[in-house]
Amino acid sequence: MTASARRLRIRVPTARPPSDSGAPTFLLNRPIAGLKVGLRHEGSWRSWILIVEEWQGFLRRDGATPVVVKTGERTAAEGERTRALVAEWAQSVDCGISGLGTCGSCTSWSVHDAVSLEKQKRPAIVAVTEEFAQHAHNMANHLGHKDLKVLVLPYPLEARPEEELRKIAFEYYPQFLELLGATAAQGAKK
Amino acid sequence: MTSPQASPLTAETIDLDDDPEALYALSLEQGWGDGVPILPPTDARIEALLAATPHPPDHIVGVLPPRNGVATVELAATNAAMAGVEPAAFPLVLAALEAISTPEFNAFALTTTTSSVFPMLIVNGPSRDALGINYRAGCLGGAAGRGSMTIGRAVSLCLRNVGGQKAGETSRTVFGQPARFGLCFGEWEERSPWPSLAVRRGFAATQDVVTVHGAKGTFPLADVNNDSAEDLAYTIAKSIAFPMNNWYLEPTGGSGQLVLCVNPIWAARFGEAFPKIESFQEYLFENAWQPIELWRPANAKILRDKGRVDAQGRVMLVERPEQLVPVVCGGLGSLHAVALTSFCESEMQSVAGLGK
Repeated sequence: MTASARRLRIRVPTARPPSDSGAPTFLLNRPIAGLKVGLRHEGSWRSWILIVEEWQGFLRRDGATPVVVKTGERTAAEGERTRALVAEWAQSVDCGISGLGTCGSCTSWSVHDAVSLEKQKRPAIVAVTEEFAQHAHNMANHLGHKDLKVLVLPYPLEARPEEELRKIAFEYYPQFLELLGATAAQGAKK
Repeated sequence: MTSPQASPLTAETIDLDDDPEALYALSLEQGWGDGVPILPPTDARIEALLAATPHPPDHIVGVLPPRNGVATVELAATNAAMAGVEPAAFPLVLAALEAISTPEFNAFALTTTTSSVFPMLIVNGPSRDALGINYRAGCLGGAAGRGSMTIGRAVSLCLRNVGGQKAGETSRTVFGQPARFGLCFGEWEERSPWPSLAVRRGFAATQDVVTVHGAKGTFPLADVNNDSAEDLAYTIAKSIAFPMNNWYLEPTGGSGQLVLCVNPIWAARFGEAFPKIESFQEYLFENAWQPIELWRPANAKILRDKGRVDAQGRVMLVERPEQLVPVVCGGLGSLHAVALTSFCESEMQSVAGLGK
């Protein structure tokens, strides 16, 4: 038996890769005092809700006004409400953080809502746990915001004791402000 | 790779030995494949598929997440050729991709979630038999109809190759599910006591329609103890309201659907007791709940905080009867039903196939 010399020509079945260019990101370049700071959660992750509660206190102490938005489902009637809520939140704040990305779809939507904020030319951050950091970068890239700032929290965050979560909130608050581009040293104090 | 001049097709080409093993190896090496051998996407195969649709090759069917890849008719045909779709079935592949691209289907979340969820395809219409759509014994796995096996796989390959959905990479699915190879089945319309799914969703019985449902899996139900149709429906309702159902994780029970695959023997029994499908859905809805005492205190508190517990201490599964969607299919051995459990944040979509 001799080897066949016949050749075959086939088509490549993949879509072309997305453009490499990314949307601009923004920094405060000023102290946090006097600003409205958005904090987004979706009501699912108790760890993140606790961190958001802690950061509200830190922000008030530092002279800022926290603006918390709790998103809901993304489809049907509840989806319409959520879209309107996020749009209103993104327009009402000077900067903000969207979380928590600690599952696949919640990371995707956290990135999505951070991008909504960045599209308003506001400094925006997405908060994710370490396990989902790469996924957050991928999703930001797919949405055309490859340089979206990502705050990476320890993983897993759920099921940790409350005291430990408060410590994490305290430890990561300076990094949160730094990513926003807040200029004064505003680290949380006990 | 070269870019040919004479073809209406625009995708890059690759030349290789005309050897099935070489093609299989290339598909794995390039990451196009699903681990199973593919047919070669040659121009002849692709153009035969394109001839079955009125759309030009560059027509955009939709944008597929997570990579937001643009699904042109040509790319869909290339992947359908790899899956072995016959031309007459190609319009159903396009219909499914259009349905998946609808924002309310929420493919953005479906393709990236840790959940096992995947779009399952339900076919109604006159071409069901001719295309080899499985709707009798083994319709959810095991039957070997060409239409079911190739349409489902083609859609899955498009999500992989156009949308960029890959488990462990862009998709964070923890387990996945067998349906991620592609799951497409039909309704046994002739054995249903009610209008078909597509007719209920506003289409004519003369249309070939694909309905996409974001389903977490195939959840099997069985019974030999209930002679009364009402008792049987009650037990089904209690079974689908299992405590780790996604609906009990969501803020509300108002989004998404569950498809209940009912075998034709049970369907006849239900048809006598519930001549209108709405009354069957209402009965399921009224009984699809669990008492709050079923959950341990910390979990119960979360459900209470979400407002999911009513004045009678019931935690309803869903908010509306129409979220529970019966479809008649399966073999004549009775005894079984299958719930295609819901991802919840995904609304079922239906699109008619547009052939030439």
